[in-house]
Amino acid sequence: MATEPADVLIIGAGASGGVVARRLSEAGFRVVCLEQGDWHDKSEYRGPELDWELTMRKQWSTSPNVRGLPQDYPIDETDAEISPLMYSAVGGSMLIFAGAWPRMLPSDFRVRSLDGIADDWPIDYHELRPYYERTDREFGVSGMGGDPAYPVGGEDPPLPPLPIGAGGLKVARAHARLGWHWWPEPNSILSVPYDGRRPCVQRGTCQQGCNEGAKASTDLTHWPKAIAAGARLVTGARVRRLETDATGLVTGATWLDREGQEHFEPAKVVVLAANAIGTPRLLLLSASPAHRDGLANSSGLVGRRLMMHPFANVGGLFDENLESWQGQFGCSIESFEFYETDERRGFVRGAKWGLAPTFGPINAALPSRAGTQVWGADHHLHVRSHLGRGANWGIFGEDLPDEGNQVTLSGTLTDGSGIPAPEVHYKVSENSRRLLDFHIEKASESLLEAGARTVEVDRLMRYSGWHLLGTARMGDDPKTSVLDRWNRAHDVPNLYVVDGSCFVTSAGVNPTSSIVALALRAADHMVETRFDQQVPV
Amino acid sequence: MSLEPRVLDPPEQATLAALAEHLIPAAHGMPSAGVVIDERRLRFVLGARPDLLEALRAGMRPDLPADPAARLIVLERDEPETLSKLLLVIVGAYYTDRLVRDQLGYPGQQAITIQSWKYPQYLEEGLIDQVLARGPIWRDPTTGRTAIEDRPRTLTTDTHEIGRPR
Repeated sequence: MATEPADVLIIGAGASGGVVARRLSEAGFRVVCLEQGDWHDKSEYRGPELDWELTMRKQWSTSPNVRGLPQDYPIDETDAEISPLMYSAVGGSMLIFAGAWPRMLPSDFRVRSLDGIADDWPIDYHELRPYYERTDREFGVSGMGGDPAYPVGGEDPPLPPLPIGAGGLKVARAHARLGWHWWPEPNSILSVPYDGRRPCVQRGTCQQGCNEGAKASTDLTHWPKAIAAGARLVTGARVRRLETDATGLVTGATWLDREGQEHFEPAKVVVLAANAIGTPRLLLLSASPAHRDGLANSSGLVGRRLMMHPFANVGGLFDENLESWQGQFGCSIESFEFYETDERRGFVRGAKWGLAPTFGPINAALPSRAGTQVWGADHHLHVRSHLGRGANWGIFGEDLPDEGNQVTLSGTLTDGSGIPAPEVHYKVSENSRRLLDFHIEKASESLLEAGARTVEVDRLMRYSGWHLLGTARMGDDPKTSVLDRWNRAHDVPNLYVVDGSCFVTSAGVNPTSSIVALALRAADHMVETRFDQQVPV
Repeated sequence: MSLEPRVLDPPEQATLAALAEHLIPAAHGMPSAGVVIDERRLRFVLGARPDLLEALRAGMRPDLPADPAARLIVLERDEPETLSKLLLVIVGAYYTDRLVRDQLGYPGQQAITIQSWKYPQYLEEGLIDQVLARGPIWRDPTTGRTAIEDRPRTLTTDTHEIGRPR
């Protein structure tokens, strides 16, 4: 095994890990990454196959607890109202994410100042914008510039927008009549050939892996380039804990291979990119006599303030066949009409809406998200009225941080290597419930104006914890934050966290574009300060 | 002739056919699931989802009521997980049948070439212009109010360039 310490050891080969690995390896750093999952080939994804809607509920479920694959770790979610979702692989959860790519808005960085609640970020929108533009180019983002939901200026998305489909057009016309905002959704899905990858074919199976490689994931967009630049990626490597020396610096990671053999990977700097469940789990697992409450946890905030974006689905059913089983999934259009705070509504902050396709006949036939099921002769009418005739507004409400929503270590549940599993404690706040109720009402109005004959609502989807945020927040004060403004641990100067754990507040948008922009910013800082970086002797 | 053992024995197969017929009978031009779901369709579902076999067998137990409606009520009350998986077997077997899909007009998830060089309908109709005409809607953190911009918004994407990577 390795004897020479890596310049940088990255834990996790997903979205943020891939971005940091590519930036640092291309800058000449000796990079090693430990990833518990494996590579996937595009041919493994089931989208074009007859069994797509069967396997999406088990092998290609977004929940590790449902999949139960050897590389997954189980999550005790008995005390959680929303189930955390993720995927362990090179490319990480990007393999199963939708690809929607909105940015945070300026107000998202100033929630305390503007709304008197939660906290402000130590950075602002304009500081992050250049990184959004760079990561848009790295991943290949399709979209349309000029959206008045954002400040003017800067680069447009590098690729033209994806089609908005028949449903998107109906809703766009409705919003024109209502005088409401809408815009073609930016997606990290190619509308044209780009960087050696093929464009989207509108199959609508993005969340079970993209067979075309049109949807961005770092196994396609970053890891090949990082490896070409010298990075070493070890798959099937499950990290048990981070080790530290007497000075408090991290010295590397102890990990287990697929056969259960233990190894130690030494490093000068460690970067955690294991998502907002896996990262606090690992920091808590790294407790020692010198760090009794876990590593980098003098603030007591490691694992706390978990945010997961309570999600509602508002589905409009139309008389005509929109062939809504096709299209990027991903979203076709978005609306920020009710995104900013209006205190007259009885809650603070807001939500972005994204219009998504529907699924195939198995999904139409089974009990719906809204709980509707019809059997007997009318079953056929029910399926015909749902299949291809839907347009779904997905509503991501801003989730305010609450220290009671947290990740701890289970005393009883372990993964396949005997390592304690994470235990998630999460309750949906009163603000979130009021926010969702208001937005459900408005989204229903949107769809009815678009011509829907009826609207079906899932008020709070349990399996909607795609967005894992906030469990090692950044900030300027070490007493009230885990990381500094450059994603470096206040307590451990050679430890960085670059995944969604660093979020101060959650915003009300899909977070991956912000996660990778923040990760690239952190990597730039590592490059710029490389000669000042404290490392173990 | 296949030498593989059948997924279900004849009494279990008869129970499944009655249940499938009860849930999805022939009507409105569609065939009965009791007829469509044969050994081949079951094997297809269980090939994709071997974890469903246990629930399928459990749902066919002779100690449950023979009447399909009564059987479903008991399963829903006492074994909702079994019922949920059993419904997936039946629905999965029925809707992966080629004839059923043809009759529904569902061709499967197809690969469709994006015509990204085409001028989008929403631009033709001026729907984006209407959004732009309303001006900015983002909240300016320096004032706490909706942003004010000193000149009208125009579409920054050069639509003549649609279809070409920049």
